[in-house]
Amino acid sequence: MRTGLCRTGLRITTILVSMVVGMAAIILCCCIVLFLDRYRSAMVESARTSTTQAVSQVSNTVGNYLRDMTQAMELVKQSMSEHDRGRDELLTAFLTFRPYVVAVTSYSSSGVLLDCWALGRELREEIHQNLSFDLELARSAKGPYMTAPHVESIFQGSYPWVVTMTAPLSQGGTAAWVSLDLSFSSISNYINNVSIGQRGYCFLMDGMGNIVYHPQQQLLYAGLKSEDTVGLAGLEDSSYADDTVIYSITSVEGSDWRVVGVSYVDELVNRNVSEMLRLSMVLATVVLGAVLLISWLLSKLLSRPLRGLAAAMESFERDADHFSYRPVGGTREVQELSHSFDHMVLRIQQLMSTVREEEINLRKTELKALQAQINPHFLYNTLDSIAWMCEQGRTADAVKMVHALARLFRISISKGHELIPIAKEIEHAESYLQIQKYRYKNQFTYTFDVDPHCLDYYCNKITLQPIIENAINHGLDLLVDKGTIQVQVCQDGEDIVFYVRDNGVGMSQEQLRSILYRGPKDRTGIGIKNVNDRLKIYFGKQYGLHITSELDVGTCVEIRMPKLQEGEYETK
Amino acid sequence: MRQNKRGLLLSLLLCLILGGCGTEQISSRQHVVALIAKSTRTEFWLSVFAGAQTAATEYNLDLTIIGPETEEDYEAQNRMIEEAVAQGAEAIVFSAIDYENNGAAIDEAAQQGVQIVAIDSSVDSDRVSTYIGTDNYAAGQMAAQAALERVEGPLRVGIVNYDINSANGQQRQQGAADAFSASGRAEITAVINTLAEAEQAWADTAAMLEAHPEINVVLAFNEPTTVGAAWAVQELNLRDALFLVGFDSNVKAVDGLQDGYVDALVVQNPYAMGYLGVESAYRLLTGQSAGMEQTVDTSTQIVDRENLFSMDSQKALFVFE
Repeated sequence: MRTGLCRTGLRITTILVSMVVGMAAIILCCCIVLFLDRYRSAMVESARTSTTQAVSQVSNTVGNYLRDMTQAMELVKQSMSEHDRGRDELLTAFLTFRPYVVAVTSYSSSGVLLDCWALGRELREEIHQNLSFDLELARSAKGPYMTAPHVESIFQGSYPWVVTMTAPLSQGGTAAWVSLDLSFSSISNYINNVSIGQRGYCFLMDGMGNIVYHPQQQLLYAGLKSEDTVGLAGLEDSSYADDTVIYSITSVEGSDWRVVGVSYVDELVNRNVSEMLRLSMVLATVVLGAVLLISWLLSKLLSRPLRGLAAAMESFERDADHFSYRPVGGTREVQELSHSFDHMVLRIQQLMSTVREEEINLRKTELKALQAQINPHFLYNTLDSIAWMCEQGRTADAVKMVHALARLFRISISKGHELIPIAKEIEHAESYLQIQKYRYKNQFTYTFDVDPHCLDYYCNKITLQPIIENAINHGLDLLVDKGTIQVQVCQDGEDIVFYVRDNGVGMSQEQLRSILYRGPKDRTGIGIKNVNDRLKIYFGKQYGLHITSELDVGTCVEIRMPKLQEGEYETK
Repeated sequence: MRQNKRGLLLSLLLCLILGGCGTEQISSRQHVVALIAKSTRTEFWLSVFAGAQTAATEYNLDLTIIGPETEEDYEAQNRMIEEAVAQGAEAIVFSAIDYENNGAAIDEAAQQGVQIVAIDSSVDSDRVSTYIGTDNYAAGQMAAQAALERVEGPLRVGIVNYDINSANGQQRQQGAADAFSASGRAEITAVINTLAEAEQAWADTAAMLEAHPEINVVLAFNEPTTVGAAWAVQELNLRDALFLVGFDSNVKAVDGLQDGYVDALVVQNPYAMGYLGVESAYRLLTGQSAGMEQTVDTSTQIVDRENLFSMDSQKALFVFE
């Protein structure tokens, strides 16, 4: 019952700790979410900025490269106006100093290849298709223009990838256009080394979305990778971020080329964010742990006096008599509670002792009233017996009977004392037995076996008589054979034990119970129950009667009480 | 009791959080991968190596590339497999010279826990995790189809193949033979198995053409035999009388195509083979092999004089450097 109550209710510690920790957890969560959100957008912004910076640097470099090429083109155009020999020398020197120029070619106004200068490469005898020059494109273009990347197709046994820059020549010479075929070596060195984050890169495309140079061009050509250049070509110069990739596009000054920077949100942002998340989680855990500890300690501080109070109440409940209360400290409320409890304990203890005293007084009064009564039947019968003895001339017996009766009454009254020496009690029992023996015409015999050390101790008066009466009335009266009653008094440690044994018809369990727990109905006098109750009230629960009985064998009543010296109980 | 339980729960949560974060740390150890090729000289293989290197750089692998002197030396390949395993290779990307005779060595390596990826030409072992390369039977059919579409009248075909034990050569030949017989107007007049080097192929092809002057279509099934056959056509002055279908993109073959000695090329995608081969090895070694295909077909296309300089052909034929 008690433990059940404990389980259903919540402890103050539990409530306090879970409330504080819960609040702290909610606040921390909100803070972390807000912070990470801000942090992520800041990281995305910085990733976009760094991508844009890298791209604009590449754009500047490519712009410089193109300006350089435009200057080179001017140089070539000038050389075209020279005579054959001077022109050859000039262009050979030009090609030597600019190894990334694969070939210089000139074309007539009808698009026929006139001349070709290239170092270490041999022009094919029969050119199947010249990818470096497109007459229609050249005619439609107003000034110099660049082609998309293509393979150089005019040489024997050599097919490098190039872009071609073509410019019209001033009228006058046979050549109408001059073209420079440029390999990617100088751009590639630069673009390949650009890295944005670990995996980010830049590539170059033209206005139509054709890739001019890509660090992984061969992967694109082998179909292992693709770039959405058509989509990107439609976008303005800016940076665009989606969930995984940041694109940053910048046009190259002085051409339709555009530099595209590609960086990965994953490595630039998500990694930092998850790192930050981890840190905040660790921090949050530490804070939560600290909060948990502090709130736990605090609640302990609050609940300990309460628990002390509860323990005190529990021990008070267990043994109210010998409980002495020590007030507990703590908060003011607890102190007040403790104070009230202290009062209550004192009050209850007072009430209890009052109740006990009243009970004893009541019993005493009751007993005295009973003792005052003499079973009239007993008296008439005894007197009848005496009269009859006198008629028969058995004067000696009659005298004995009268003496016995007198002794019985004297001891019964005992000047109103409740406790009398055991010797007197024995005498009382013997007188009663004497009378009864006469009355029952010697149907039974009796013996006394008394430890002489016991005689001086005290006992309640009229303890044995009701039991002997019961033995005669219920045990021996119905017996055909001669009965015996044996009274024994002995010491047992700190106790005195009386035994009253008979060899009567015995009692069933039911009879035993009714004798001990139900008062006498049909007759007056002190019943066995009364004797038992009296002993228990006087001496405590461990004392009193203990009856063992067997049908047709006999009954033994054990009466146990503590050793009492004269005047001892009254002082207790 | 309740306190203890809560404490336990909390520490468990903490462990979970920290543990969860801990798993993000990536192991930085380099995996060792060996690529054992059929040859280290032809442009085809150089392109494979370029692709393989790109993948190795991208996935941070310690890649070793080796191959025998000649494309017939399967014993050298077997030795290389053993050496690679001895040197701690965790995965081998392999192209078998001899379908059957390389099988045991590959099984042996796989026994020791080495992952096997086959590229270009497969090997007789069920320990091969994936094959990456051309669908050789289809490529053979494609070569035959190229001839059937462009040559009218009856076709008398001479086939210049390389090592007879090489799986991909035989598959290509089978594909071509089936396509020819299905057409009903072509017959295979002669088949030669020459060495995979241009000079020998040139001499053997020339001999075949002299022995069978009726041949009007020649199929050569790899890069060196194509170059050799083109030389033979040039030497015998058969430019117009003979239709030559070759394989792969060699500069000399492209020159031949422009000059008319070669009439069509079946162009494979060696760069993709190298790249995907090494990438697959990486995936096998890092436990990402779920959903990996048994066979990965890299693209193949026909290039002839008409589409020689189309953008697609340029991309397929010429390596971007």
